[in-house]
Amino acid sequence: MTRRDFLITSAALSAATLLPGSLFAETTKKENSERFPRQLEPVMEGDVKTFRLFIDIHQQELVPGVRIHTLAFNNQVPGPEIRVNRGDKVKVYFKNKTELNHTIHWHGMHVPWRMDGVPYITQMPVMSGQEFVYEFVAEPYGTHFYHCHWGTLLHMQSGMYGSLIVEDPDDPIKKRFPYEREYTLLYSAHDLNFLRNELNAMLERMKERLYLVRNGRFDKERFAVFDSKEELEGAVRKGYQPPYVVSRRAPAELAQPFWFTVNGKSYPSTPNLYIREGESIRVRLINSGTEEHSLHLHGHDFWLVCDDGLPLPQPWQMNTMRLSPGKTLDIIIEGKNRGIWTFHDHDTRRVTNNGLYPGGNLMALVYEDLPEEERRVMPMKGMNNLIPKVALDE
Amino acid sequence: MQKKKTALSIPMMLITILLACSTGYPGVTPEILLGARGIASMNLDYTAAGGEETVSDFSDTSLLVGFRQKLYSNYRGALVIGFQFPDEGSRLEPILFHQVFLRVEDRSNIFKIGRTRVRSAMIEFPTLRDDDAIDFTDILNPFSSGEDTEDNQYGNIVEATRIFGQRYRLSAYGEHLRNENEASTKDFGFNALGISFQYRVPESQRWNREVLNQIGISLNTALTDRPGYSGLDKSLKSITFSTVLNIRPDPVHFWDLRHQSIFNMGFSETKAVTDYADLTRARSFSTFTSIRYLYRKLERPAVQAALSYGYKTFPDLTNSSSQHRLIANGFYRLGANFDAGLQVGYLKNTGDLKAFAGEHETEVQFALIYSIEQLWNSQFDDRESLLNLEHGYIP
Repeated sequence: MTRRDFLITSAALSAATLLPGSLFAETTKKENSERFPRQLEPVMEGDVKTFRLFIDIHQQELVPGVRIHTLAFNNQVPGPEIRVNRGDKVKVYFKNKTELNHTIHWHGMHVPWRMDGVPYITQMPVMSGQEFVYEFVAEPYGTHFYHCHWGTLLHMQSGMYGSLIVEDPDDPIKKRFPYEREYTLLYSAHDLNFLRNELNAMLERMKERLYLVRNGRFDKERFAVFDSKEELEGAVRKGYQPPYVVSRRAPAELAQPFWFTVNGKSYPSTPNLYIREGESIRVRLINSGTEEHSLHLHGHDFWLVCDDGLPLPQPWQMNTMRLSPGKTLDIIIEGKNRGIWTFHDHDTRRVTNNGLYPGGNLMALVYEDLPEEERRVMPMKGMNNLIPKVALDE
Repeated sequence: MQKKKTALSIPMMLITILLACSTGYPGVTPEILLGARGIASMNLDYTAAGGEETVSDFSDTSLLVGFRQKLYSNYRGALVIGFQFPDEGSRLEPILFHQVFLRVEDRSNIFKIGRTRVRSAMIEFPTLRDDDAIDFTDILNPFSSGEDTEDNQYGNIVEATRIFGQRYRLSAYGEHLRNENEASTKDFGFNALGISFQYRVPESQRWNREVLNQIGISLNTALTDRPGYSGLDKSLKSITFSTVLNIRPDPVHFWDLRHQSIFNMGFSETKAVTDYADLTRARSFSTFTSIRYLYRKLERPAVQAALSYGYKTFPDLTNSSSQHRLIANGFYRLGANFDAGLQVGYLKNTGDLKAFAGEHETEVQFALIYSIEQLWNSQFDDRESLLNLEHGYIP
């Protein structure tokens, strides 16, 4: 691709999404609001907040024209947001509608150990058609998330993650940085070939295994599960080769993500963050993927206020932060420099789709009260009618 | 004259445009598939005329290379090139390009053109080599001299297939079967036509425990010359019926049964078999059935044993004639993709076949088989993957 092609392509994509006219339209803002996790409403059972999650295979559109098969909680990627108050009694009914095994791990939560969702360590896997009930008290406060802990690499990349927010009426962050609006962003990275090939392989294997299970012939070697070291050693003597049983079926290489998503979408379908001048917004960032992201906001320094859900004794100001896999960070952005600003991974390999820029986790911070006369970029000679209207070049 | 000039210049212009468009732009890298199968066997033959030993037989060893990529409008295009080593003593070249075809397909349609397996059989059987029972498992090529079994297996083909409801396939095809005389006649047009319809459970769904795995029927017509006849009466017609039943679709101890019958309507005037042309033109009914046991350890094949029996009769021959074929074999997996096999085959001929092909033959083969399949640059899913079949098709 020549530089000219590149510019034209970039410009066309920019036009589709960040053109000021469309950015400020009410319909755009409404559509944008649907690009964040949907909150799951609890049903009260006495003093217990109950939630119902199910897992099924679902199709997700990353960008227009690119659809993939995913594992989705309640047919959503990411799964619905569970939002409770600190100290709430929580019960989650988890139903497995797939032919694969699953669990739910409550990442960052202080749950009873048998609710922690680690298969064969804290619980048996939730097999096809089964339901498992997780019960815990919501502690500690902060931004957390939940994800499957069975076949974690595949199942998380496939979409099995969702946000879990534990609120505190006496929220220390809100006290220091009063805000009304907040956004949740779940980052992930996907090797679509790995997902497709391994999901197919696992579905096929599970068909075979479930046939045996239904006939009362659970085979420990097939599931690579043993009750004791002696049992494992006995199986090895009979030809079982533990390190290779899985890898011989697995792809030749580890997953190499080439699609990068925020809330299950890649640019230009990623959400925008709307703000007003003088307003503070809270952004909850969750890395539910396998890649580290170096997130940079243009034109602002933001406050890093929570790390792994825990309020920092002293918030830090910065404009670039490192969001490692499994990490949650909360930031406060103060609306002090009106405009339309990009917010993206500064490892620019992650602002690509399938290797082509722009894409990935590219987003924008948009001042929705930007005066009309400032909604266009500075004109350039001979380019009056040529986009870009908004710079995407980091 | 002016008109002719214009007509010629348009294609040239199109070619120029296409070439111009294809330069300076990055190419789309295709999926690349490599398939290789090596079969080497030590054969011991015992015939009525005495024993014969072939120390090393590597026929049917083959290499396939495939390329595949997405096209516009949810279509996919593929190119496959492959060669194999023909049977010992074959009159073919030392290397036979048995697969050279292009394929365009979408979810419900497949269009294929080039050289590949002709539709002389509807299913495969668990024999060491594909042609071990070819007199029973395939419609024999009436244009062949019978010297090379590949004449019955590979030819140039144009085929269109429509898939209904994932499991039903309707195919129509025109074929150019290898013709002994084609070098002199320069005739490379269609010399066979056919149509087939089958129900087939995709391989990925084999553990859905269905008993019926495949059932199909086909009508093949070879466009032969038949002195004294015209139109369709000149052609040699065959009807094939096939089925595969999962007797016990158990993942560890798997049993299945395969059956195929071919009714060759033949030419009523063929009353004796004295050469290969008679053999292919005589009215005949052949049937071939295999029962197979497969033991799978840790989800991979470990041991396979199969027993197959074929019977062929020629009702119109003056001399009551028939053929019987019995094949027993076993394979043991030495490691991933690598098997050792032992096959014992017995053939008995009666009537005209006895004089033409010998009274009986017993063959013992000890073989090593290595087969691999490797895909690079994977980009999209197969039509018959579980995700596409059971969770919505993604082009």
